[in-house]
Amino acid sequence: MLLKKLIKNPISLFGLILLIGFIFVAIFAPQIAPPNNPDQKYLIPRYGWGSTPKPPSSEHPFGLTEGQYDIFYGLVWGTRSAFWVGLVVVGVSCSLGVLIGSIAGYFGGLFDNILMRIVDIFMSFPFLIAAVVVTTILGPGLNKVMLTMICFYWMDYARLIRGSILAIKEEEYILAAKASGVKDWLIIIRHVLPNTIFPVLVQASMNIGSVVITAAGLSFLGVGAPVGYADWGQMISMGRNWLLGTPENHLAYWYTIVYPGLAIVLFVLAWNLIGDAFRDVLDPKMQS
Amino acid sequence: MFNYILRRLLTLPVVILGVTLLIFLMMQLLSPYQLLASYIRSPEELKNKDPDTLIKIYGLDRPAGERYIKWLKNIVKGDLGWSNSANMSVVDAIKARFPATLELALYAVIPVVFGGILLGSFAAMHHNQIGDHITRIFSIIGWSLPSFVGGLFILMVFYGVLGWFPPGRLSTWAYQIVYSDQFTSYTGMYTIDALLNGNLKVFWDAIRHLIGPVLTLSYLWWAFIMRITRSSMLDILNKDYVRTGRSKGLPESVVIKKYIRKNALIPVITVGGLMILGLLGGVVIVETVFDFKGIGLLTATAAQQLDYAAVLGTTMFYCFLLVIVNLVVDILYAVIDPRVRLE
Repeated sequence: MLLKKLIKNPISLFGLILLIGFIFVAIFAPQIAPPNNPDQKYLIPRYGWGSTPKPPSSEHPFGLTEGQYDIFYGLVWGTRSAFWVGLVVVGVSCSLGVLIGSIAGYFGGLFDNILMRIVDIFMSFPFLIAAVVVTTILGPGLNKVMLTMICFYWMDYARLIRGSILAIKEEEYILAAKASGVKDWLIIIRHVLPNTIFPVLVQASMNIGSVVITAAGLSFLGVGAPVGYADWGQMISMGRNWLLGTPENHLAYWYTIVYPGLAIVLFVLAWNLIGDAFRDVLDPKMQS
Repeated sequence: MFNYILRRLLTLPVVILGVTLLIFLMMQLLSPYQLLASYIRSPEELKNKDPDTLIKIYGLDRPAGERYIKWLKNIVKGDLGWSNSANMSVVDAIKARFPATLELALYAVIPVVFGGILLGSFAAMHHNQIGDHITRIFSIIGWSLPSFVGGLFILMVFYGVLGWFPPGRLSTWAYQIVYSDQFTSYTGMYTIDALLNGNLKVFWDAIRHLIGPVLTLSYLWWAFIMRITRSSMLDILNKDYVRTGRSKGLPESVVIKKYIRKNALIPVITVGGLMILGLLGGVVIVETVFDFKGIGLLTATAAQQLDYAAVLGTTMFYCFLLVIVNLVVDILYAVIDPRVRLE
């Protein structure tokens, strides 16, 4: 039913097709852009040592960026990095948030108060700033970026699920389960979560895009993925120095920015379109 | 009302203390040698002493609890350490850079709040008509375009090709005027200072430099505020009291202004707080893209050069700012929505 609604709306259908395209590229990356060295698939191969980018050619369809890194190869394998970062960060932080939020919401009292103050403290850090601080301290690398983002991303989910649990906690079926002596954790898993998890899942699907943007932003600032790693943000930061082109042709090096930029925009767009449609489908208020 | 504000104020010290504790915990991941860098103000200090004695002098080998108290005392005194990347104390660097960021934020926030709410209510009134679809597509694209990509595109086209909106804060000739004796600096915000000095050429130059970063910083929030206003207005359009208002013959403009828009503003205020949070992170990237010398660029440069004192110091500053903004948002919330006060 959900899928049917997604296909019926042209906007969300477009998102679905885009996402399937990216999944295809990620799965068949070894076939689309065969790595020269199978042990270091995520290192973009270099073709020469000069720094000036080279325009697209039949051999390198998207051209070579600063340092002669192959743009096409970086984009294809960067798709895998993007999925990996987005899914892992959202998956782990969402589970963590649901765990903490449901404990706080269900048991309430002092427990709730302490947990929510901890949420307040974590929420006092602008997300990107927190990520910059921790990656500066831990040192660069995609795994450290992901760890940082998980640490500062769970609070939204915790708040969301806590709010919905507070709303249904006094419903008859929960009270009935309590009265008949069902254990607390069973009530949470069997009765509370199935009735409160949907808004969290919608939020999660909408957050994958912003997680990918933040990770790319950190790479752009130079505190994320190392130079030469197949990561879209890192590739944009390599193209940044060539932004203004040559005095004769201001757009001489457009491909160093436009191709990686488009890859990020389309990837995030796909997730946002689907998340937006999800929300409208699942929210009964929007049906009328 | 008073009770509510009092209760809210009481949580403030807890959160602020928690924030300092969290930052201090992050610092524990650094070695004493790395921490030492924020105490050394010039190479001369290193000449006659080896690092180990310096670590003893500054008490960096003491137990964590003791160091935390000492560090807190320094913060209260207004000492956030020495920034190697800015070559001045972190507090001075923040003071020098803050007006630039404030100027950027003001120009970004004010049009968004008013314009976004208007467009959002327009979309809700024309639900599922062509205007609604256009704003929807516009906002989803805005939401999907990372600021560093959008900013670089703007720079490429409007500076590289057209030469309209250059990076930086002012052109060289304008800097010469601003730093000359004839020009008095009142606020550090160049557009306002230029107006107060009656120098329209500098004012225009500052505006030209602001357009790119302001656009980049705010397009995402145009999209966001519009969507929130739209969905919360749609929610309220179907409420019974709106139907009552209409059926008793109130003019449509009164129904929209008094019954719908006021109620729809409640979620928008929440988003306003979120926006400030986003802007604080956003300035780091936008100022880096446009080489705009505000606090964001200070943080970014410090992070690249592993200048821990400046990264942690500016972070502390952002956090305090945010704690205050959250407080204001919560109080505003209580002012507009009586239900919050009774909770």
